[in-house]
Formats: sequence, structure tokens, C-alpha cells
Amino acid sequence: MRTVLAVAAAVVAVLVVIAFYPGGGPKLDVGAGGGPRMLVGAPAQSFPVKRVDGTVDGLDHYRGRIVVMNLWATWCPPCREEMPALERLYREYRSRGVVVLGVDQGEAPRVAQAYARAHGVTYPILIDEDQQYGRAYAAVGLPTTIIVGRDGHIVKGIDGELTLAQMREAIAPALRAQ
Amino acid sequence: MRSSPRLTALTVAVVCIGLVVAQDVVPLVDFFHTWQYATALALGVVVMLGYLNGALRGQDGMVGRRLALALAGAVVATVTGIVSGLLGPDTQTVRHAPGSVAPIPDLHAAAFFTSADAATIANGTAHVILRRPNHADVEIGPNDRKFLGASVLLVEPSHAAFIEARDAAGNRLTITQPTNAAFLSPVLLFPNEQEIAGKRLPFDTFAVPALQRIVKAVLLPASMTTTLRVRPEDAGKPALLYAVDDEHNTSLGLTIDPDGREVFVAGLRLRATIGSYPTLVVASAPEPFALSAGVGLFIAGLLWAGIGLFCAGALPLRNPSGS
Repeated sequence: MRTVLAVAAAVVAVLVVIAFYPGGGPKLDVGAGGGPRMLVGAPAQSFPVKRVDGTVDGLDHYRGRIVVMNLWATWCPPCREEMPALERLYREYRSRGVVVLGVDQGEAPRVAQAYARAHGVTYPILIDEDQQYGRAYAAVGLPTTIIVGRDGHIVKGIDGELTLAQMREAIAPALRAQ
Repeated sequence: MRSSPRLTALTVAVVCIGLVVAQDVVPLVDFFHTWQYATALALGVVVMLGYLNGALRGQDGMVGRRLALALAGAVVATVTGIVSGLLGPDTQTVRHAPGSVAPIPDLHAAAFFTSADAATIANGTAHVILRRPNHADVEIGPNDRKFLGASVLLVEPSHAAFIEARDAAGNRLTITQPTNAAFLSPVLLFPNEQEIAGKRLPFDTFAVPALQRIVKAVLLPASMTTTLRVRPEDAGKPALLYAVDDEHNTSLGLTIDPDGREVFVAGLRLRATIGSYPTLVVASAPEPFALSAGVGLFIAGLLWAGIGLFCAGALPLRNPSGS
């Protein structure tokens, strides 16, 4: 008799849990975004793309250096405005193992090359026609700048145009980490 | 205890195990997360425990004692099913742009949606890689099914189109998706629907900022293009219906772009490659070790009872000994 009562009590308990369990419907995640900031600390993804001269290049070719990867396009006014500052940063810090990498998003090589030449850009320009870097680095707009440390991990992800002072500040932790 | 309670208990055990194993076979069925499913299994447990209680007291003789092992296994398997169905995480469908990363908190993992070009979209061969700290990567391809603890992971193909945009001179142009999470993706995933000609059709929107164009792309299934004015060789192919506006929302043109063909509209040369891209589905599943142990005990108990009956020469179930 005792056993029967125990079983009945257990069943009632289960049914009470079932009755009051707060059920929820299936969840659909269609990409909440979050921008490049959320990638800090993650390993930096690399994709082989072409440089403006046609040679194959990619972020992983610069492992061991601090990379300031700037996603840009010629139609983007803030991208064009920050290019002189990027060029100065490149010249200023090149000897300290910092490389600036301009990754054009989705445009023809000759368009990017002509623009870079006309504006005296000497840092490497990669042509990412399929916009793989833009997707992988969760860009929510252009320009987007990603600082990658010597160990190949993302140190900082920044959305929007930067001044030279902001760029120096952004790479400072990576420089101190050497 | 006679044959009827025994048969009832065994039938209930088989049905309960079937309902639990069904979670592994068809994990996306919402029924497994309802109170009705849990109640049915709970009632099954009651019936089995009732028989088990009597059998252990010797009410069904030697066969009953041996079947107690089988019923105990069935109870374990059924409880596993209740736990995963009721307390396991809700089914999660994760649709992300190629090249992006989605956190899966329930698994303490991140899903990497692999990069995709036009050929990958056309062939539907993209896959998803699941990464967890201190574990090997789990790669899930189209039509794959992987079990991870008390979760089952599936990849289901969803509509996708890879868009290439060029100017009149043929220069490639950047594509952006200002209204979607993946801003710089040329892959449309069609998260929205609208009704055209009585059918719900998927659509997506992208921009070509270099030419200040905003394009709405409606996916037309292959069955629809047979009735539209397209080249004969394009009839029966899926297509995109483009509606192009400028930055002031002034309509600049409409055109139909069959899969793989380049069309010219509003100063843009557009080519769509239509295919599929994986959507990751994470569903709860019965804990595999507990379920295997339960089913194993059930089968072992049945065999043991069967051997007992055979040796006693008392195969007819209605002749239990010792009762």
C-alpha cells in the first residue's frame, strides 16, 4: 500500500511540474549582428584574396606583426577621409612591426588601384570581391578597422572613421604586449 | 497478476520507448516539447512502475521477476525522454550569413558558417562548423545529423542567392545589406515573405551604394517562371524579381533575373546565382548514454524472461509459474 501511495505521489509531482512548466516556442536566430567589437579575443580569420597587382595575399601572411586591417571602399566618404591618417600611421609604425592592410570590399581591382595611387597610398591594398572579410568581421558599416595582435588574435574592432590619434591609441595595447 | 497486466506493461514499455526514440529520429517535431507528450510518457511510467512493483513481490512469478529488469530499463529510457522533451532547450534555428559566427549558449559553443561563393551557393555544399573549448571541431554538412550530448544538430538547406553587381562598364560593385545583420554580405538569405499572385514568396533587400541603388529581390520558384516572359531556355529555372529604387525611393525599374543570367536594370548589371545555404537547427535529444542503457536493459530483460519461459517449457504467456 505504501509503495502504491509513493508511486501516486511521484506521478502527481511529475504532473504538477508538467502543468506549470513555462514552455517556449522554437527560437529563430537570424543573426543578431553585434559589430566588430564582439570579436575581440577571437582568432583572426584569413581568406586568400588578390592584391591590386594580382598576387594572392591574405591576413595570415602578416602573422607575427601587428595588423591594422581597414575595410573600405572607394564610394565610402568616411573611408576616403581616413586614408591619409592610415598612410601616416603606416609610415610612422612600419619599423615597429605594424602593417596597415586596406581591404577593399567588393570592387574591381582597377577601381581600388586607381584610387589608392591617386591618393598616394603605399600600404598594401587587397581586393576582396566576394566581401568575405566584411562578413567574417561582422562589419556593420564602412569603414571598419580591426587590430590584430602578433599572435593572430583580434585586439580591437572599431566601427567608423578614426583619427590618427585614435589609431595610435588603438594599437598601443598591442605594441605594449610585445 | 496474470497475462493481461504483463502484456499491458510490455505494450506500454514498447510504445514509450518508441516515443522516446522518435525524438532522435524526427527531432524537429514540436510535439516532443508539449505537456501532452510528457504526460503520456509519465502515465506510461506509472503503468510500468505498477507492474514492476507487483512483479518484484512475486505476483507474476519467475517471468515477472525477470521482466522487471526489462521494465526497469524501459522506465529509465522513458524518464530520459521526459527530461529531454520537457526540460531540454527549445529547438533553435540559426540562420546566419556565410563567414559569420553565431554563439550557441546552450552548447557552450560557437557555430562558424563557412564562407560561400557563387558555386557553393549553387551546389548547396556549404557547411557549418561547431567549435567548443577543449573539443574537436564538429563539421555538419548538408543532410548531416550529429549528436552532441543531449542535443542533435542538423543542417537544413534554406533559400539563398549570391548576387554580383557591376556598373555599365563591367566594374564589380560593393553590395551591402543595410537592413540585415550581415551588412557586407552579397549572399541573400530571404528572411522575409510577401504575397504575389496568391503565393507567399521570400524576399530580401540589398543596396549598391556606389550607384545609390536599393534593390528588392523577390525569389520566384522554378514553377512560376514557366508562366513568365523569360527566354525559353530560362523557363523552369528559379529567378529573382528585382525592383530597383534610388536613394530617394524613386522607382527606377523592374526586371526578372533567371538563375545564372546577367540582367541590366537602372544602370546596374546584376547576376544572381540561386541555390541554398545551410540553416543550423539545434534540438534537444534524449541523453544517449541513459537511453542506450535503458533500451539495452529492456532487451536484456526480455531475452532473460524468454529464456526462462523456454527452459520451463511454459512459452504460453498465460501460464506463469509460482503465482
